[in-house]
Formats: sequence, C-alpha cells, structure tokens
Amino acid sequence: MSAPAFLTLDGVGKDYGTVTAVRAVSLTVAPGEFLGLLGPSGCGKTTTLQMIAGFETPSRGHVLMEGRDLAGIPPAKRGIGLVFQSYALFPHMTAAENVAFGLEMRGVPKAERAKRVAEALAQVRLGHLADRFPRNMSGGQQQRVALARALVFEPRLLLLDEPLSNLDAKLREEMQVELRALQRRIGVTTVLVTHDQAEAMALCDRVAIMQGGRVVQIDAPWQAYDIPADAFVADFLGRSNRLPARAASGEAEAAGHRFSLPPELADRHGEILLTIRPERLRIRCERTAESAPGLDGRVQARLFLGGFWLYTVETALGAFAVVAQNTGATPLDEGAAVTLDWDAHSLRRLEPA
Amino acid sequence: MTRLDRLTPALLTAPSALVYAGALLVPLAGVLALSLHGFDFQDGILPGWNLANYRDLLTDPLFGEALARTFRIAALTTLICLLIGVPEAWIIHRMDPRWRGPMLLIVVGPLLVSVVVRNFGWMVLLGTNGLVNQAMTALHMPGAPFRLMFTELAVVIGLVHVMVPLVVLSVWASLGRLDPVLERAAISLGAGRFTIFTRIVLPNVMPGVLAGALMVFCLSASAFATPAMLGGKRLKVVSSMTYNEFLNTLNWPLGAALATVLMAAILLATLLWTRLVEKRALRRLGEVARGGPA
Repeated sequence: MSAPAFLTLDGVGKDYGTVTAVRAVSLTVAPGEFLGLLGPSGCGKTTTLQMIAGFETPSRGHVLMEGRDLAGIPPAKRGIGLVFQSYALFPHMTAAENVAFGLEMRGVPKAERAKRVAEALAQVRLGHLADRFPRNMSGGQQQRVALARALVFEPRLLLLDEPLSNLDAKLREEMQVELRALQRRIGVTTVLVTHDQAEAMALCDRVAIMQGGRVVQIDAPWQAYDIPADAFVADFLGRSNRLPARAASGEAEAAGHRFSLPPELADRHGEILLTIRPERLRIRCERTAESAPGLDGRVQARLFLGGFWLYTVETALGAFAVVAQNTGATPLDEGAAVTLDWDAHSLRRLEPA
Repeated sequence: MTRLDRLTPALLTAPSALVYAGALLVPLAGVLALSLHGFDFQDGILPGWNLANYRDLLTDPLFGEALARTFRIAALTTLICLLIGVPEAWIIHRMDPRWRGPMLLIVVGPLLVSVVVRNFGWMVLLGTNGLVNQAMTALHMPGAPFRLMFTELAVVIGLVHVMVPLVVLSVWASLGRLDPVLERAAISLGAGRFTIFTRIVLPNVMPGVLAGALMVFCLSASAFATPAMLGGKRLKVVSSMTYNEFLNTLNWPLGAALATVLMAAILLATLLWTRLVEKRALRRLGEVARGGPA
C-alpha cells in the first residue's frame, strides 16, 4: 500500500501453552480502510483481533497504531470501538444509556453526551427507539445499537467480531449495505473478523485470508477471487473447479482432452493444477463440430438460485460446477447432454495447498 | 382435552401438596389455635378462646425489646453478609477455574459444621481470655480486653459466619447467567474494574443479591441456637423466648403466640422488602427479574 499505515501488525503471534493459535501475522491497514480477517474457525482470526483490541497479549511481534507500539497499553486506553458477535449490550440499560456509557467513561459532560447519543442513534436510524431496552429490540436493532455504542466516542479504530452472523440472511444483506455505507461516511479505519466469505467480499476493501494461524493472502476481494494464492483460497472464496493436467508447450492435456493454456503459463511443463470459476465456463446443450473446442458432459444436478442456475456437469475430467445466468430461457434438464468450453485466459494455476 | 388430561396436573402435584399441607399447614394452624387459649399453672391449657396472650405480649416492654433486638440483629447480619458475600462471589467467579472448586468448598464450609460446634468455637475465640482478646491485649489496644461474649456483636458475628455462604451461592448463581462478554464490552468503552463491578455486574446480579438478602434476613430473625449460645440468657430474642415458654415455663399458649407474632413480623418484613426494594431494583431487568423467559 502506498498510503502510510494506520495499523501495523508486525510478526504478531500467540501461543497457548504448546498450542500455537497465531503463528506470525504481518499486515498493514491504511487510514480509513476496511480490512477483513477471513478464515474458517480455528484459523486464528479472532485471536488476532483480540490482540489488536488488547484483550490478549501477543507471544511475539508488535501491534502498532500510527507507528506507536501498543504493548502494555490496556484495552480501555486504546480508544478502539468494538462490536461483538453477541452484541454484548448491557441488558439493564436502554439503547440510549448503552450508547452513552462510553462517553460517560470519558467524562463527557451530560448535555453534550445527550446530543452525541442522539446523533449516534440517528446515524443508525434508531432515534425513535432510544428508550427501549435491548430485550425489546430485534437482532438487527440490537446490532445497530452495538454499532452506535462503538462509534459514539469517535474511536480511531473499529473492530467488528462476526457482527452479522447472528442475523438471518435477508437482514444480514441489508445490514451489510448499511454497515458499508456508514463506514464510508465516517471514514473510520475498520477491521472485520468473519468466517463468511460472502460477507468479507461484500464489505471489505481488502481481505486477509487466514489458515492455520497464518495469513495466506491479502488482496482486494476481487483480486483474491480472481487470482487465488493457493488451492485453499480458491476453495474458500466462492466456488471453483479443479483441473489437474499435464502441461507441454503451451497446451495442457487431461484424460485425453487437450486445451490451450493462457500465455503466462505457456512455458510450464509437467504436472500442473489448474482451476476455473463456475461462471467462466460456458455451457451449451447442442453437440458442436469435432473441430470446435469443448468438453462433453452430462447435467447431473441443477439448482435454481434466482438470478442464475448452478449446474453440476459430469465430464471425463470429473464433475464441474457451472453457473449460467438466468436469461429467462428454458433451463437444461438433469441428464441432458451438454458441452462445456472456456477461454484459455480464465484458467489459473494453483499451488497445491 | 379429556377429563383425565385436565386432572393430570392436579394429580401429579397432589402428593407434594399433601406433604406440604400435612407437615406445614396443619401444624401452623395448630400453633395459631393454641395461641388463642389461656394458661394456668395448676390447670394447664384452658378451654376458652381469647386474645389475652397477644394483649400481654404487646404490652410487655421485655417482649418489645426482644422483638427490636431480633430485627436489629437480623438487619445488621444481612447488611454485613451482603458487604462480604457479594464481592466474595464476584472474586470467586473471576478466579481461575482450577481454584474455583476448592474456594467454593471453603465458602460453604461453615454450613457443613454443626451449629453447636461452630458456636462453641466462637465462644472460645470471643471469651474474655479468648484468642481475640489475647491478641488485642498483646497489641496494647486501649481498653482491651473487651467484653465480647454475650453481646449482640457476638450474635451478629456468629450469624454472619454461617449466613455468608447463602449470599455467595445466591449471587454465584446469578453471575453464571451473566454474559462474560459484557465485561469486555465495558472495558472497550473505557470502564475500570470498580466501575464494571458497580455499573455492569451488580445491576445484573441484583436478583441473586436480593434473594440472598431475604434468605439471610429470615433465617437470622428466626435463628435460635446462635443467639442462645453467644447472646446468653439475658440477651433475649423472640425465638429464644418462644423456646423458653415451651420448654421451661411450659406455657404453650404464650409460646405459640410468640411464634405467631415472630412469623407474622417476618412475613410482613418480607412483603415490604419485595414490594419496596425488590420491585424497584428489578424493574430494569424486565422479564429476567420475573424469572420467566424473555
């Protein structure tokens, strides 16, 4: 990144006894950036977040905010806004009292407190529910109170720990749009922890994909999706098809089927693991002439997903997931004979995970 | 619903209801009835019904003094138990899980020791030549040795010793229902340890605190052995007066009247407590306080 780093993790790791939760995470977050820590459970993403927040002490490495080492600074003094998976709203306080708590702890005078609480609640469109107790609010409303509470004292850094995972699918999507817009508007540097790849891709400027206590890849979501660093990332972000083949002089061969490789892989020889995204595959129902490129197969299953169809096509090279846009045309039947083809530049080479 | 279905709840609760009625309501009614009879040293219990026992009690300054002492001791014991027990529960709750078990065992220790043994131990400690006075004399405390035995202070000390576990266990149960993440949320908002305890933890464990307080108060007000042993013969409380009437004077009707007045007074105090303190304190917690699901 060309922008000066706001938050820097420099070889940060954490051991619990003989168990290593986080090996050595190094990354930087630019001011105002929305970074996602993405990975399956047990990958160390939550521990990393806890070390940034100050609830866990790193076993090695440094956490720096604006160049200053945070070691020894207690969580209460770090000025970090936190939103928890369970929201952790104080059950005996109203929405307004919850939001006011952080200001009160910072000694903000009462009149100003009331004004800022009202503003913060308005920002998350909850002004009308200021006097409700959390138990009388829906999950989405509680989520927004938690957000207002974390933002009201104007933290320099916002940490979100699986903030949307307790909401149902439709509400989660709405909250994603809202959260993204709010973060843009306020411009607060934000780190999100999630195991939901769709959520990370929708919200974040960049995602750090973690596995086994390590960051495997840091990139903009579309870059990580398009050029995954390894087989793990390819599988974790969206769907992908694997295609083991033998490469020789710009061509690849698998199970008697020959196809061309993209220019950047032209000098590869020998065993190669290729991958292709389901939406990069074209599916045709008619058999084409022998000369036209194509992989023959049969539709094994189909799934209607509204905007598109997801087909599973059985071929000589194994099963392929194929996404076809719903154009209103009659979908292919299960069992139909089809031909798959693709552009050579859609193929990616994978390092085996 | 068939007829049997409608009867099922009643049938299932019948055995415990019968035991409850037989072992509690019938004897209580018996005590109440007994208190309405007269008594004569020659003829024993007299057949007539009247309120003479109650009139005698209400006009007897000794009884008034004992009643006031009973409630003073119970209130003081409750207060001290809360001051010790609530922080104690919080500290144990925050302990490393390895230590929690042994610590809880130590806390409930006093409940496992016989009341006579426990109070005898205190008599040894609090006597004029007891350990406490020896220590204070050795430290050249002005006025030492103090008269500790047969004082209200001794009774309160003895009661607090055995009642603190009730508060700890009651608050402990409430703490278990507290979302541990709340504490981290408060820390992230800038709260210190003391603030977290008073502003976040305490309001949420209020149901346990108030239930514990009520238990301690009721048990302290009706305690018999501890006031008798540590307070001595001259420091009468209502329960020891009752005991005396039943077993020494053999004036059962007067004893029954004493027991009835004590029970009514405790019941009244409980009702007032629930109405005035508990309701107000728990309103904020909503459904949680009423014990039902949200």
